[in-house]
Amino acid sequence: MDRSLQHAFDAEQIMAYLDGELEPQRAAALAGHLVSCAECQEAVRGFRAVSERMMGFEVEPAAQQIGATLLEALDSGNVSRNTGQAGGYEKKARVWQRLFFKPYAWAFAGIVVVLAILVIGIPTMHRSNEGLRRTLALTRLDPAFRVSQTLEQKYTDQVQQSDTAEPTPPSAVSGGRLQAPETLGPMIAQTASLSIVATNYDEASAAIERLAAAHGGYAEKLTAKTQTGSARGLSAALRIPAKQLDGFLADLRKLGHVEEESRENEEVSAQYVDLQARLKSARATEQRLIELLGTRTGKLSDVLDAERELARIRGEIESMQGQNAILVHRVTYATVQVELSEEYRERLSTTSKGTKIWNALVEGLGNLEDGAVAALIFLLAYGPSILFWLAALMLPAWLIWRRLRRPAQT
Amino acid sequence: MNTDEQLVLEFQQGSRSAFVELFERYREPVYGFFRRRLENPGRAEELAQECFLALLQNVKRYEPRASFRSYLYGIAIHLVSAERRKAGREIAENEKLDERATEENAGESRDAGIWVRQALKHLGKDEREILMLKEYEQLSYEEIAGLMRLPVNTVRSRLFRARMALKEQLISVKG
Repeated sequence: MDRSLQHAFDAEQIMAYLDGELEPQRAAALAGHLVSCAECQEAVRGFRAVSERMMGFEVEPAAQQIGATLLEALDSGNVSRNTGQAGGYEKKARVWQRLFFKPYAWAFAGIVVVLAILVIGIPTMHRSNEGLRRTLALTRLDPAFRVSQTLEQKYTDQVQQSDTAEPTPPSAVSGGRLQAPETLGPMIAQTASLSIVATNYDEASAAIERLAAAHGGYAEKLTAKTQTGSARGLSAALRIPAKQLDGFLADLRKLGHVEEESRENEEVSAQYVDLQARLKSARATEQRLIELLGTRTGKLSDVLDAERELARIRGEIESMQGQNAILVHRVTYATVQVELSEEYRERLSTTSKGTKIWNALVEGLGNLEDGAVAALIFLLAYGPSILFWLAALMLPAWLIWRRLRRPAQT
Repeated sequence: MNTDEQLVLEFQQGSRSAFVELFERYREPVYGFFRRRLENPGRAEELAQECFLALLQNVKRYEPRASFRSYLYGIAIHLVSAERRKAGREIAENEKLDERATEENAGESRDAGIWVRQALKHLGKDEREILMLKEYEQLSYEEIAGLMRLPVNTVRSRLFRARMALKEQLISVKG
């Protein structure tokens, strides 16, 4: 079937003609050529001989059972693949096997992993040690950790006290212990918030602390804000005896125009009762242990165990007493948050245009520097990860692209 | 006589007889497809049945953009590929084919089926599949290209190479 160059048709075209795949005009021309060309006739005979020989590969007829089973499945409506010989397990295995070889399955898995790392990993990495310490403390629910939890609570309380430098309330302490204001009625922790615009700011800011003291309360925190070109402001966190709250708020309202006011009452009776019960139980245990240590004799290890247990119980009692004191204080003293601001009138700017331009230029350069540093930090922090995942995802992506491109070419 | 595509549409609308008609038309060709590619006749029957079951399951998804014939053989190719992967024995199968052909060749050297088996063994995987799809399943170049995910010209050139290789073998046997 070797074709010489003088022929207008090559062997492949003759094959396509025999297969009925040649364009009609070309096919007609080839048919005409075949009548007179012995060499092309020989090529045709060669192709036909191959096809005839291949047709000799006959197979036995299909079993009738195939049809019977299928039609039965069709009639019963059960057309699952289990009707055939392949079992469900085998089918599942085949599905997984198929997925294993699919590039898009790998790409999808990669994307899921990246997203999981972004969602879970990064916030955890950036969590501060303080947050981690709190998380650990919250998860220590096992009794073995209670002593350390109590110590931690005491440490936190000390830190908070030193931070806020809270003055001792004048009437809340009685014999070193806070007493519940009214044990028979509901225990309500009151919170109020006021936002006031004062016409005379200096007078009003001075009056806030004075009013608090007059009503038997105290200022927990005071923050004054004075910025050039904007209104002055004062933020105060005040603790006022609960019974004096209404009178105190009425006096506050007189300081200026109240823009926003809110009050919230939270009942903490259940927490208080629960705490008291636990405290009572712990004290009883403490008492029994003291009696046990005083009256019984035994092995040294038993005595040491009992003392350890006593120390643990005492730690718990101290912790609960602390919580109790905080709870009672919240009820006895209402929390009032005051935001006082000055009625502000914009003044004409005295800054020259040249200064403004210079300031803008300096600010612009500063921003440029900040941006460059931020970009560098970002590249150093995330660059290696981004490069790694890009490399990991490029291969499946390339395989998908190649796979999608193939049908397009056809 | 209704075309295959018309029968599928009727079957999609619930006609049992349409499916029976399709099944009767394709039972032997589909079985032959598997039988020529697998050594075990029992497994060929099972896969032929699975092929029609897959058609039953997925018939709702069929859209008459492609011919029914290429759709059905697409399922068959998928099944036979999975079967080969599962067994992991494509090479081993060829070896068995070779052994069997050699054994049978001793007693029945004139058997055309044996000659074809032996000749196909010498072809590349794609060339063998293209040649078989053309000769036995009578698919067009375009249909084969769609099933094999190859350009039509590639199908034509590979088919030509496969036939030329068989022709050479045929000449050598005669010689």
